[in-house]
Amino acid sequence: MAELLTNKLGVDAAELHPAATFEELDVDSLALVELTDIIEGQLGIVMAEGEIRKGATLAEAAQALDIHAAADR
Amino acid sequence: MAVTGLGLVSPAGVGTELTWRGVCAGVGTATEDPALASAPVGISCRVPSYDADAQFGAAEAWRLDRFVQLSLLAAREAVSDSGLEPAHWDGTRVGVVIGSAAGGVATFESQHAGFLERGPKGVSALFHPMALVNMVSGRLAIEFDATGPNLVTATACASGATAIGVARDLLVSGACDVVIAGGTEAAISPTFVTGFARMGALSRQSARPSSASRPFDANRDGFVIGEGAGVLILERLDHARRRGADVRAKLVGYGASADASHVTAPHPQGRGIEQAMRRACTDAGLQPEQVGHINAHGTSTQLNDAVEAEAIRRLFGAEVPVTSTKGVTGHTLGAAGAIEAALTVLSLSRQTLPPTANLERLDPAITLDVVTGRPRPVATSYALTNSAGFGGHNVSLAFAV
Repeated sequence: MAELLTNKLGVDAAELHPAATFEELDVDSLALVELTDIIEGQLGIVMAEGEIRKGATLAEAAQALDIHAAADR
Repeated sequence: MAVTGLGLVSPAGVGTELTWRGVCAGVGTATEDPALASAPVGISCRVPSYDADAQFGAAEAWRLDRFVQLSLLAAREAVSDSGLEPAHWDGTRVGVVIGSAAGGVATFESQHAGFLERGPKGVSALFHPMALVNMVSGRLAIEFDATGPNLVTATACASGATAIGVARDLLVSGACDVVIAGGTEAAISPTFVTGFARMGALSRQSARPSSASRPFDANRDGFVIGEGAGVLILERLDHARRRGADVRAKLVGYGASADASHVTAPHPQGRGIEQAMRRACTDAGLQPEQVGHINAHGTSTQLNDAVEAEAIRRLFGAEVPVTSTKGVTGHTLGAAGAIEAALTVLSLSRQTLPPTANLERLDPAITLDVVTGRPRPVATSYALTNSAGFGGHNVSLAFAV
């Protein structure tokens, strides 16, 4: 996810840390929809629209991804 | 109204000086275009490549349709050229009016392709923020903290000129002290270009792309699609003088008309374009003989060039030097009126008329003094620039130095 944020959404890698929220990283709701689409396309993990919210931290989002990945196995 | 800043992004170059040098060199910019491989006509005039990530930041570049990117490049140059400082200006007094014929059609095409292929998941949440035509003026407002009147004009290939006319009216009415005005277009996509080809509007001289756009030439057979953006900083004269701005030229007249005749073909006698030129002169208080140059719409189509040339001859006689810079740039559609307005300002301030590229043999039916070959020195204070759009829209702008 860190790679997607820096490479696809242009977030500064230096600003990435687990407690940062998407909002703090200037990732708005439109970019979040893109992010979930990219995650689905690249990782095959289907997340519901709005499942990752702007106020969520990267750690929370990563945890949600882990849960999905485990459930899909 | 004062013109205090210029910004140009065109097939002749990214930047005002590069564009001016390119149009004065008089060499056509059209080339074979791989992106148009599936279209019936595969040539275009593209803006030279630029580093979008460096210009807008990687986080922003991918969210901007090209028609907005080009306008941002031109507007940044124009604002910087004007010496105005958005960090310090009263944004409530600054308007934005930008013309575009097509808006984000390339985004529309790619989103539609995604929808057909993958269904709703193939459509980006950024579709509308990228593609809607008004996003260009909205985005410029964000860029420059310009919170005054903000709108887009859509009069097809006259859009950029209409924007400058509407901007003038906003200044005259007192609604604004400064307007960022211009036009932008980036519509070189297969479906869009095919539409023009099916109409018979495009040149089929693909074997020699660089000479396919040949305004007023006997062997012209249609326009070559181009892309680009032009932005002028228009300012109330008192406002410009108070801050000691360098006034490049004054916008002294605006004439607009509708053909009310046919959706695409110009009125057979050029009633609309003549009315627009006449109105621009009246508005400026000019007698026709005072006009020393006309930057024509001159698209290189059979109909436009014949009808426009005859209307110019009727109103101004055969002696006024006329040029069409579309021989170099191709037809940049909604950007053309603004790009050519900026070039007209430069022609006046530098007293030099760019030649009409690819004019090898003047159409025998046209009796005009068309500048060709090399740039021509001139001594005049007044010039017009014409634009016309499908739909029957005509605009003529009068500038003075």
